[in-house]
Amino acid sequence: MASLVSVKGLKKSFGDLEILKGIDLEVQRGEVLSIIGPSGSGKTTILRCLNLLERPTGGQIDIDGQNLCKERSGGEMQFATRSDLRQIRKGIGLVFQQFNLFPHMTALENIIEAPMAVNKVDRSTAVEAARDLLESVGLGKWADHYPLQLSGGQQQRVAIARALAMEPAVMLFDEVTSAVDPELVGEILLVMRQLAEEGMTMLVVTHEMNFAADVSDRVLFMDNGVVVEEGPAAQVLGAPQNARTQGFLRAVRDRAPMDEDQQ
Amino acid sequence: MNIETIQEYLPIILKGFWITVHLFLWSLLFSTVGGFILALMRLSPIATFRWISAVIGWLFRGIPLLLLLFYAFFALPAISRSLMFEPFWAAVLGLSIWTAAYQSEAIRSGIISVEKGQIEASETLGMTKRYYMRRIIIPQSIRIMIPPFIGNAINTMKQTSLAAVITVPEMTLLARQIISEDFKVAEPLLALASIYLLLTTILLMAQQGLERIFRLKV
Repeated sequence: MASLVSVKGLKKSFGDLEILKGIDLEVQRGEVLSIIGPSGSGKTTILRCLNLLERPTGGQIDIDGQNLCKERSGGEMQFATRSDLRQIRKGIGLVFQQFNLFPHMTALENIIEAPMAVNKVDRSTAVEAARDLLESVGLGKWADHYPLQLSGGQQQRVAIARALAMEPAVMLFDEVTSAVDPELVGEILLVMRQLAEEGMTMLVVTHEMNFAADVSDRVLFMDNGVVVEEGPAAQVLGAPQNARTQGFLRAVRDRAPMDEDQQ
Repeated sequence: MNIETIQEYLPIILKGFWITVHLFLWSLLFSTVGGFILALMRLSPIATFRWISAVIGWLFRGIPLLLLLFYAFFALPAISRSLMFEPFWAAVLGLSIWTAAYQSEAIRSGIISVEKGQIEASETLGMTKRYYMRRIIIPQSIRIMIPPFIGNAINTMKQTSLAAVITVPEMTLLARQIISEDFKVAEPLLALASIYLLLTTILLMAQQGLERIFRLKV
Protein backbone atom coordinates (compact mmCIF):
# COMPACT_ATOMS: atom_id res chain seq x y z
CA MET A 1 0.00 0.00 0.00
CA ALA A 2 1.22 3.46 -0.86
CA SER A 3 2.30 5.73 1.96
CA LEU A 4 -0.15 8.38 3.14
CA VAL A 5 2.64 10.94 3.29
CA SER A 6 5.52 10.63 0.88
CA VAL A 7 8.41 13.08 0.79
CA LYS A 8 11.31 12.67 -1.61
CA GLY A 9 14.47 14.78 -1.71
CA LEU A 10 12.79 17.74 -0.01
CA LYS A 11 14.93 20.88 -0.09
CA LYS A 12 14.26 24.33 1.28
CA SER A 13 16.52 27.35 1.25
CA PHE A 14 15.92 30.83 2.61
CA GLY A 15 18.22 32.93 0.45
CA ASP A 16 21.66 31.38 0.72
CA LEU A 17 20.74 29.45 3.84
CA GLU A 18 19.85 25.84 3.12
CA ILE A 19 17.53 24.59 5.87
CA LEU A 20 16.54 21.24 4.36
CA LYS A 21 19.14 19.42 2.33
CA GLY A 22 17.18 16.59 0.77
CA ILE A 23 14.76 14.89 3.14
CA ASP A 24 13.09 11.56 2.42
CA LEU A 25 10.30 10.34 4.60
CA GLU A 26 7.27 8.10 4.39
CA VAL A 27 4.35 7.83 6.78
CA GLN A 28 1.92 4.94 6.51
CA ARG A 29 -1.76 5.25 7.28
CA GLY A 30 -2.30 5.01 11.05
CA GLU A 31 1.35 5.50 11.82
CA VAL A 32 2.77 8.01 14.31
CA LEU A 33 6.12 9.49 13.32
CA SER A 34 8.01 11.76 15.70
CA ILE A 35 10.66 14.11 14.41
CA ILE A 36 13.28 15.11 16.95
CA GLY A 37 16.47 17.11 16.74
CA PRO A 38 18.17 20.27 17.92
CA SER A 39 16.76 23.76 17.33
CA GLY A 40 17.42 24.95 13.81
CA SER A 41 17.72 21.45 12.42
CA GLY A 42 14.76 22.03 10.09
CA LYS A 43 12.04 20.01 11.87
CA THR A 44 9.43 22.74 11.80
CA THR A 45 10.30 23.64 8.22
CA ILE A 46 9.42 20.09 7.14
CA LEU A 47 5.94 20.39 8.64
CA ARG A 48 5.42 23.82 7.09
CA CYS A 49 6.47 22.46 3.71
CA LEU A 50 3.98 19.61 4.02
CA ASN A 51 1.07 22.00 3.45
CA LEU A 52 3.06 24.57 1.51
CA LEU A 53 3.08 27.26 4.18
CA GLU A 54 6.70 27.26 3.01
CA ARG A 55 7.37 26.55 -0.65
CA PRO A 56 10.08 23.91 -1.07
CA THR A 57 13.00 24.71 -3.35
CA GLY A 58 13.45 21.09 -4.37
CA GLY A 59 11.95 17.62 -4.13
CA GLN A 60 8.49 16.11 -4.24
CA ILE A 61 5.64 15.83 -1.71
CA ASP A 62 2.54 13.65 -2.06
CA ILE A 63 -0.14 13.36 0.58
CA ASP A 64 -3.05 10.95 0.33
CA GLY A 65 -2.34 10.41 -3.35
CA GLN A 66 -2.33 14.12 -4.18
CA ASN A 67 0.75 15.93 -5.39
CA LEU A 68 1.68 19.16 -3.58
CA CYS A 69 4.89 19.84 -5.42
CA LYS A 70 7.40 18.20 -7.66
CA GLU A 71 10.55 19.08 -9.47
CA ARG A 72 10.32 19.37 -13.23
CA SER A 73 13.13 17.88 -15.30
CA GLY A 74 14.84 21.28 -15.49
CA GLY A 75 14.90 21.50 -11.67
CA GLU A 76 12.10 24.07 -11.66
CA MET A 77 9.43 23.52 -8.99
CA GLN A 78 5.83 22.86 -9.88
CA PHE A 79 3.25 23.47 -7.14
CA ALA A 80 -0.38 22.48 -6.73
CA THR A 81 -2.72 25.20 -8.03
CA ARG A 82 -4.35 27.42 -5.47
CA SER A 83 -7.70 25.60 -5.62
CA ASP A 84 -6.04 22.15 -5.58
CA LEU A 85 -3.99 23.28 -2.61
CA ARG A 86 -7.11 24.32 -0.68
CA GLN A 87 -8.56 20.91 -1.43
CA ILE A 88 -5.41 19.12 -0.24
CA ARG A 89 -5.10 21.26 2.88
CA LYS A 90 -8.55 20.16 4.03
CA GLY A 91 -7.05 16.71 4.52
CA ILE A 92 -4.08 17.95 6.55
CA GLY A 93 -4.61 19.18 10.10
CA LEU A 94 -1.88 21.45 11.42
CA VAL A 95 -1.52 22.41 15.06
CA PHE A 96 0.80 25.36 15.70
CA GLN A 97 3.19 26.03 18.53
CA GLN A 98 1.41 29.36 19.15
CA PHE A 99 -2.15 27.89 18.86
CA ASN A 100 -3.27 30.61 16.40
CA LEU A 101 -6.88 30.40 17.56
CA PHE A 102 -9.15 33.16 16.29
CA PRO A 103 -9.32 35.47 19.34
CA HIS A 104 -12.61 37.12 18.36
CA MET A 105 -14.48 33.81 18.34
CA THR A 106 -15.45 31.43 21.12
CA ALA A 107 -13.94 27.94 21.33
CA LEU A 108 -17.02 26.53 19.61
CA GLU A 109 -17.02 29.20 16.89
CA ASN A 110 -13.34 28.53 16.25
CA ILE A 111 -14.16 24.89 15.59
CA ILE A 112 -17.27 25.26 13.41
CA GLU A 113 -15.93 28.09 11.21
CA ALA A 114 -13.96 26.00 8.71
CA PRO A 115 -16.35 23.03 8.41
CA MET A 116 -19.19 25.46 7.64
CA ALA A 117 -17.17 27.68 5.29
CA VAL A 118 -15.04 25.11 3.52
CA ASN A 119 -16.93 21.83 3.78
CA LYS A 120 -20.36 23.49 3.58
CA VAL A 121 -21.60 21.62 6.64
CA ASP A 122 -24.81 23.12 8.01
CA ARG A 123 -24.58 24.93 11.30
CA SER A 124 -26.42 22.48 13.53
CA THR A 125 -24.37 19.52 12.28
CA ALA A 126 -21.16 21.50 12.73
CA VAL A 127 -22.12 22.55 16.24
CA GLU A 128 -22.99 19.00 17.21
CA ALA A 129 -19.67 17.68 15.89
CA ALA A 130 -17.78 20.52 17.59
CA ARG A 131 -19.40 19.76 20.95
CA ASP A 132 -18.38 16.12 20.61
CA LEU A 133 -14.83 17.17 19.77
CA LEU A 134 -14.65 19.57 22.72
CA GLU A 135 -15.92 16.77 24.93
CA SER A 136 -13.25 14.43 23.61
CA VAL A 137 -10.45 16.91 24.40
CA GLY A 138 -11.91 17.44 27.87
CA LEU A 139 -13.33 20.91 27.25
CA GLY A 140 -17.06 20.23 27.04
CA LYS A 141 -17.83 23.00 29.51
CA TRP A 142 -15.66 25.60 27.79
CA ALA A 143 -17.46 25.88 24.44
CA ASP A 144 -18.56 29.48 24.94
CA HIS A 145 -15.27 30.82 26.29
CA TYR A 146 -12.99 33.02 24.23
CA PRO A 147 -9.38 31.90 23.65
CA LEU A 148 -7.92 34.55 25.96
CA GLN A 149 -10.15 33.24 28.75
CA LEU A 150 -8.49 29.82 28.48
CA SER A 151 -5.11 28.54 29.67
CA GLY A 152 -2.42 27.68 27.14
CA GLY A 153 -3.14 23.99 27.57
CA GLN A 154 -6.85 24.53 26.96
CA GLN A 155 -6.23 26.76 23.96
CA GLN A 156 -4.01 24.15 22.40
CA ARG A 157 -6.65 21.47 22.91
CA VAL A 158 -9.20 23.72 21.20
CA ALA A 159 -6.71 24.14 18.36
CA ILE A 160 -6.43 20.35 18.06
CA ALA A 161 -10.22 20.05 18.01
CA ARG A 162 -10.41 22.78 15.36
CA ALA A 163 -8.02 20.85 13.12
CA LEU A 164 -9.86 17.57 13.74
CA ALA A 165 -13.19 19.14 12.79
CA MET A 166 -12.06 19.10 9.16
CA GLU A 167 -11.71 15.30 9.44
CA PRO A 168 -8.15 15.29 8.13
CA ALA A 169 -6.35 12.18 6.94
CA VAL A 170 -3.18 13.22 8.73
CA MET A 171 -2.41 15.53 11.67
CA LEU A 172 0.78 17.58 11.90
CA PHE A 173 1.89 18.79 15.32
CA ASP A 174 4.51 21.54 15.41
CA GLU A 175 6.08 21.67 18.88
CA VAL A 176 2.60 22.01 20.30
CA THR A 177 3.67 21.87 23.94
CA SER A 178 6.53 24.37 23.71
CA ALA A 179 4.49 27.51 24.39
CA VAL A 180 2.54 26.26 27.41
CA ASP A 181 3.41 26.11 31.09
CA PRO A 182 5.15 22.87 32.08
CA GLU A 183 2.27 21.68 34.27
CA LEU A 184 -0.13 21.94 31.30
CA VAL A 185 1.95 19.88 28.88
CA GLY A 186 0.46 16.63 30.12
CA GLU A 187 -3.14 17.45 29.20
CA ILE A 188 -2.12 18.16 25.60
CA LEU A 189 -0.05 14.99 25.32
CA LEU A 190 -2.97 13.01 26.73
CA VAL A 191 -5.20 14.20 23.91
CA MET A 192 -2.53 13.34 21.34
CA ARG A 193 -2.02 9.92 22.83
CA GLN A 194 -5.77 9.29 22.64
CA LEU A 195 -5.72 10.35 19.01
CA ALA A 196 -2.86 7.98 18.22
CA GLU A 197 -4.72 5.12 19.86
CA GLU A 198 -7.74 5.87 17.70
CA GLY A 199 -5.53 5.27 14.69
CA MET A 200 -4.89 8.82 13.49
CA THR A 201 -1.90 9.26 11.21
CA MET A 202 0.37 11.76 12.94
CA LEU A 203 3.61 13.62 12.29
CA VAL A 204 4.87 15.09 15.52
CA VAL A 205 7.73 17.54 15.87
CA THR A 206 8.52 17.43 19.55
CA HIS A 207 10.96 17.91 22.37
CA GLU A 208 9.01 15.53 24.58
CA MET A 209 11.22 12.44 24.46
CA ASN A 210 8.98 10.38 26.72
CA PHE A 211 6.03 11.09 24.46
CA ALA A 212 8.08 10.20 21.40
CA ALA A 213 9.17 6.96 23.06
CA ASP A 214 5.71 5.92 24.27
CA VAL A 215 3.43 6.95 21.46
CA SER A 216 5.34 6.95 18.19
CA ASP A 217 5.83 3.97 15.95
CA ARG A 218 8.91 5.50 14.43
CA VAL A 219 11.29 8.30 15.32
CA LEU A 220 13.34 10.37 12.96
CA PHE A 221 16.35 12.31 14.21
CA MET A 222 17.38 15.36 12.22
CA ASP A 223 20.37 17.58 12.40
CA ASN A 224 21.53 20.35 10.12
CA GLY A 225 18.88 19.78 7.47
CA VAL A 226 19.41 16.05 6.98
CA VAL A 227 17.88 12.90 8.45
CA VAL A 228 20.64 11.44 10.60
CA GLU A 229 18.87 8.39 11.94
CA GLU A 230 15.46 6.83 11.55
CA GLY A 231 13.81 3.71 12.89
CA PRO A 232 11.45 2.21 15.47
CA ALA A 233 11.08 4.48 18.50
CA ALA A 234 12.70 2.02 20.89
CA GLN A 235 15.71 1.67 18.65
CA VAL A 236 16.39 5.35 17.87
CA LEU A 237 15.73 6.54 21.42
CA GLY A 238 16.92 3.45 23.30
CA ALA A 239 19.91 2.31 21.30
CA PRO A 240 20.90 5.05 18.85
CA GLN A 241 23.56 4.06 16.34
CA ASN A 242 24.73 7.47 15.22
CA ALA A 243 27.08 9.52 17.37
CA ARG A 244 25.10 12.72 16.77
CA THR A 245 21.87 11.08 17.90
CA GLN A 246 23.61 9.77 20.99
CA GLY A 247 24.99 13.22 21.74
CA PHE A 248 21.61 14.90 21.30
CA LEU A 249 19.77 12.42 23.52
CA ARG A 250 22.43 12.70 26.19
CA ALA A 251 22.15 16.50 26.12
CA VAL A 252 18.35 16.33 26.40
CA ARG A 253 18.48 13.91 29.34
CA ASP A 254 21.13 15.91 31.17
CA ARG A 255 19.64 19.30 30.46
CA ALA A 256 19.32 21.71 33.30
CA PRO A 257 15.66 22.53 34.11
CA MET A 258 16.30 26.05 32.83
CA ASP A 259 16.75 24.86 29.26
CA GLU A 260 13.16 23.76 29.07
CA ASP A 261 11.96 27.30 28.42
CA GLN A 262 14.40 27.87 25.63
CA GLN A 263 13.43 24.74 23.78
CA MET B 1 -17.79 89.82 26.37
CA ASN B 2 -20.90 88.62 28.11
CA ILE B 3 -22.85 85.42 28.44
CA GLU B 4 -26.12 86.92 27.27
CA THR B 5 -24.67 87.92 23.92
CA ILE B 6 -23.40 84.38 23.49
CA GLN B 7 -26.87 83.08 24.24
CA GLU B 8 -28.20 85.44 21.64
CA TYR B 9 -25.79 84.24 18.95
CA LEU B 10 -26.00 80.56 19.67
CA PRO B 11 -29.37 79.98 17.92
CA ILE B 12 -28.20 81.84 14.82
CA ILE B 13 -25.06 79.73 14.56
CA LEU B 14 -27.06 76.58 15.28
CA LYS B 15 -28.93 77.18 12.01
CA GLY B 16 -25.74 75.95 10.37
CA PHE B 17 -25.42 73.03 12.76
CA TRP B 18 -27.19 70.47 10.60
CA ILE B 19 -25.29 71.56 7.52
CA THR B 20 -22.05 70.99 9.43
CA VAL B 21 -23.27 67.62 10.65
CA HIS B 22 -24.38 66.59 7.16
CA LEU B 23 -21.09 67.72 5.64
CA PHE B 24 -19.32 65.58 8.20
CA LEU B 25 -21.50 62.48 7.92
CA TRP B 26 -21.45 62.38 4.10
CA SER B 27 -17.69 62.91 4.09
CA LEU B 28 -17.25 60.23 6.74
CA LEU B 29 -19.34 57.76 4.74
CA PHE B 30 -17.58 58.35 1.41
CA SER B 31 -14.11 58.52 2.95
CA THR B 32 -14.63 55.29 4.89
CA VAL B 33 -15.70 53.41 1.78
CA GLY B 34 -12.98 55.09 -0.28
CA GLY B 35 -10.33 54.58 2.40
CA PHE B 36 -11.24 50.91 2.67
CA ILE B 37 -10.95 50.41 -1.09
CA LEU B 38 -7.62 52.29 -1.14
CA ALA B 39 -6.32 50.15 1.75
CA LEU B 40 -7.26 46.89 0.02
CA MET B 41 -5.70 48.15 -3.22
CA ARG B 42 -2.54 49.00 -1.32
CA LEU B 43 -2.39 45.43 0.02
CA SER B 44 -3.31 43.83 -3.30
CA PRO B 45 -0.97 41.35 -4.99
CA ILE B 46 -1.56 43.33 -8.19
CA ALA B 47 1.16 45.94 -8.55
CA THR B 48 -0.97 48.38 -10.56
CA PHE B 49 -3.52 48.60 -7.72
CA ARG B 50 -0.79 49.15 -5.14
CA TRP B 51 0.72 51.86 -7.29
CA ILE B 52 -2.57 53.70 -7.92
CA SER B 53 -3.39 53.64 -4.21
CA ALA B 54 0.04 54.90 -3.23
CA VAL B 55 -0.15 57.79 -5.70
CA ILE B 56 -3.62 58.81 -4.49
CA GLY B 57 -2.41 58.74 -0.87
CA TRP B 58 0.67 60.76 -1.72
CA LEU B 59 -1.31 63.32 -3.71
CA PHE B 60 -4.21 64.01 -1.36
CA ARG B 61 -2.25 63.93 1.85
CA GLY B 62 0.25 66.30 0.28
CA ILE B 63 -2.13 69.08 -0.82
CA PRO B 64 -3.83 71.45 1.64
CA LEU B 65 -7.53 70.75 2.06
CA LEU B 66 -8.35 74.39 1.38
CA LEU B 67 -6.81 74.00 -2.05
CA LEU B 68 -8.79 70.82 -2.71
CA LEU B 69 -12.00 72.66 -1.82
CA PHE B 70 -11.15 75.53 -4.17
CA TYR B 71 -10.36 73.00 -6.84
CA ALA B 72 -13.61 71.10 -6.37
CA PHE B 73 -15.70 74.26 -6.42
CA PHE B 74 -13.92 76.58 -8.87
CA ALA B 75 -11.59 74.52 -11.02
CA LEU B 76 -13.66 71.45 -11.86
CA PRO B 77 -16.50 73.45 -13.49
CA ALA B 78 -13.85 75.23 -15.56
CA ILE B 79 -12.72 71.85 -16.89
CA SER B 80 -16.20 70.68 -17.76
CA ARG B 81 -19.63 72.08 -17.06
CA SER B 82 -20.78 68.59 -16.02
CA LEU B 83 -18.39 68.86 -13.06
CA MET B 84 -20.23 71.82 -11.58
CA PHE B 85 -21.43 70.98 -8.10
CA GLU B 86 -23.46 72.85 -5.55
CA PRO B 87 -21.19 74.28 -2.84
CA PHE B 88 -22.33 71.62 -0.36
CA TRP B 89 -21.43 68.69 -2.63
CA ALA B 90 -18.21 70.30 -3.78
CA ALA B 91 -17.23 70.50 -0.10
CA VAL B 92 -18.24 66.86 0.47
CA LEU B 93 -16.14 65.86 -2.53
CA GLY B 94 -13.03 67.65 -1.30
CA LEU B 95 -13.43 66.50 2.31
CA SER B 96 -14.11 62.90 1.26
CA ILE B 97 -11.06 62.52 -0.95
CA TRP B 98 -8.82 64.24 1.58
CA THR B 99 -10.11 62.09 4.46
CA ALA B 100 -10.06 58.87 2.42
CA ALA B 101 -6.33 59.31 1.86
CA TYR B 102 -5.84 59.38 5.63
CA GLN B 103 -8.37 56.66 6.48
CA SER B 104 -6.74 54.27 4.03
CA GLU B 105 -3.58 54.42 6.15
CA ALA B 106 -5.51 53.85 9.38
CA ILE B 107 -7.34 50.89 7.84
CA ARG B 108 -4.24 49.44 6.21
CA SER B 109 -2.20 49.62 9.41
CA GLY B 110 -5.02 47.80 11.23
CA ILE B 111 -5.09 45.01 8.67
CA ILE B 112 -1.33 44.44 8.55
CA SER B 113 -1.03 44.39 12.32
CA VAL B 114 -3.11 41.20 12.61
CA GLU B 115 -0.71 38.36 13.36
CA LYS B 116 0.58 36.31 10.45
CA GLY B 117 -0.39 33.14 12.31
CA GLN B 118 -4.07 34.02 11.80
CA ILE B 119 -3.63 33.90 8.02
CA GLU B 120 -1.66 30.66 8.28
CA ALA B 121 -4.32 29.04 10.44
CA SER B 122 -7.02 30.13 7.98
CA GLU B 123 -5.11 28.87 4.96
CA THR B 124 -4.34 25.60 6.68
CA LEU B 125 -8.07 25.07 7.22
CA GLY B 126 -8.68 25.53 3.49
CA MET B 127 -10.32 28.96 3.58
CA THR B 128 -10.08 31.22 0.55
CA LYS B 129 -8.36 34.58 0.93
CA ARG B 130 -11.60 36.44 0.30
CA TYR B 131 -13.28 34.42 3.05
CA TYR B 132 -10.63 34.76 5.73
CA MET B 133 -10.13 38.46 5.04
CA ARG B 134 -13.84 38.98 5.69
CA ARG B 135 -14.28 36.64 8.66
CA ILE B 136 -10.91 36.44 10.37
CA ILE B 137 -8.57 39.30 9.49
CA ILE B 138 -10.77 42.39 9.03
CA PRO B 139 -12.91 41.80 12.17
CA GLN B 140 -9.70 41.63 14.22
CA SER B 141 -8.20 44.67 12.50
CA ILE B 142 -11.18 46.89 13.37
CA ARG B 143 -10.22 46.91 17.05
CA ILE B 144 -6.75 48.15 16.12
CA MET B 145 -7.89 50.77 13.64
CA ILE B 146 -10.50 52.46 15.89
CA PRO B 147 -8.21 55.08 17.52
CA PRO B 148 -6.53 56.37 14.32
CA PHE B 149 -9.84 56.14 12.45
CA ILE B 150 -11.68 58.30 14.99
CA GLY B 151 -8.69 60.64 15.12
CA ASN B 152 -9.05 61.21 11.38
CA ALA B 153 -12.83 61.61 11.74
CA ILE B 154 -12.35 64.30 14.40
CA ASN B 155 -10.00 66.13 12.08
CA THR B 156 -12.55 66.00 9.27
CA MET B 157 -15.28 67.21 11.59
CA LYS B 158 -13.25 70.31 12.40
CA GLN B 159 -12.17 70.84 8.80
CA THR B 160 -15.79 71.10 7.65
CA SER B 161 -15.36 74.72 8.81
CA LEU B 162 -13.25 75.32 5.69
CA ALA B 163 -16.38 74.80 3.59
CA ALA B 164 -17.24 78.37 4.58
CA VAL B 165 -14.77 79.66 2.01
CA ILE B 166 -16.74 78.05 -0.81
CA THR B 167 -19.98 79.58 0.47
CA VAL B 168 -21.48 76.59 2.25
CA PRO B 169 -23.73 78.12 4.95
CA GLU B 170 -22.39 75.97 7.76
CA MET B 171 -21.68 77.20 11.28
CA THR B 172 -18.39 78.97 10.63
CA LEU B 173 -19.86 80.96 7.75
CA LEU B 174 -22.77 82.07 9.95
CA ALA B 175 -20.38 83.08 12.72
CA ARG B 176 -18.37 85.15 10.26
CA GLN B 177 -21.54 86.87 9.09
CA ILE B 178 -22.33 87.85 12.67
CA ILE B 179 -18.82 89.21 13.07
CA SER B 180 -19.08 91.37 9.95
CA GLU B 181 -22.59 92.59 10.76
CA ASP B 182 -22.35 93.19 14.51
CA PHE B 183 -18.61 93.86 14.84
CA LYS B 184 -18.58 91.39 17.73
CA VAL B 185 -15.79 88.83 17.59
CA ALA B 186 -15.27 87.04 20.88
CA GLU B 187 -18.88 86.03 21.54
CA PRO B 188 -19.76 84.40 18.20
CA LEU B 189 -16.40 82.64 18.06
CA LEU B 190 -16.84 81.28 21.57
CA ALA B 191 -20.32 80.02 20.72
CA LEU B 192 -18.91 78.43 17.57
CA ALA B 193 -16.02 76.79 19.41
CA SER B 194 -18.33 75.32 22.03
CA ILE B 195 -20.43 73.60 19.37
CA TYR B 196 -17.38 72.08 17.66
CA LEU B 197 -16.15 70.95 21.05
CA LEU B 198 -19.48 69.29 21.72
CA LEU B 199 -19.33 67.45 18.39
CA THR B 200 -15.77 66.24 18.85
CA THR B 201 -16.63 65.13 22.38
CA ILE B 202 -19.40 62.97 20.95
CA LEU B 203 -16.88 61.40 18.57
CA LEU B 204 -14.49 60.66 21.42
CA MET B 205 -17.33 59.00 23.31
CA ALA B 206 -18.11 56.98 20.19
CA GLN B 207 -14.49 55.85 20.20
CA GLN B 208 -14.78 54.60 23.77
CA GLY B 209 -17.99 52.78 22.92
CA LEU B 210 -16.47 51.16 19.85
CA GLU B 211 -13.38 50.12 21.76
CA ARG B 212 -15.60 48.47 24.34
CA ILE B 213 -17.61 46.63 21.69
CA PHE B 214 -14.53 45.32 19.88
CA ARG B 215 -12.46 44.57 22.97
CA LEU B 216 -11.23 40.99 23.07
CA LYS B 217 -12.98 38.99 25.76
CA VAL B 218 -10.45 38.22 28.46
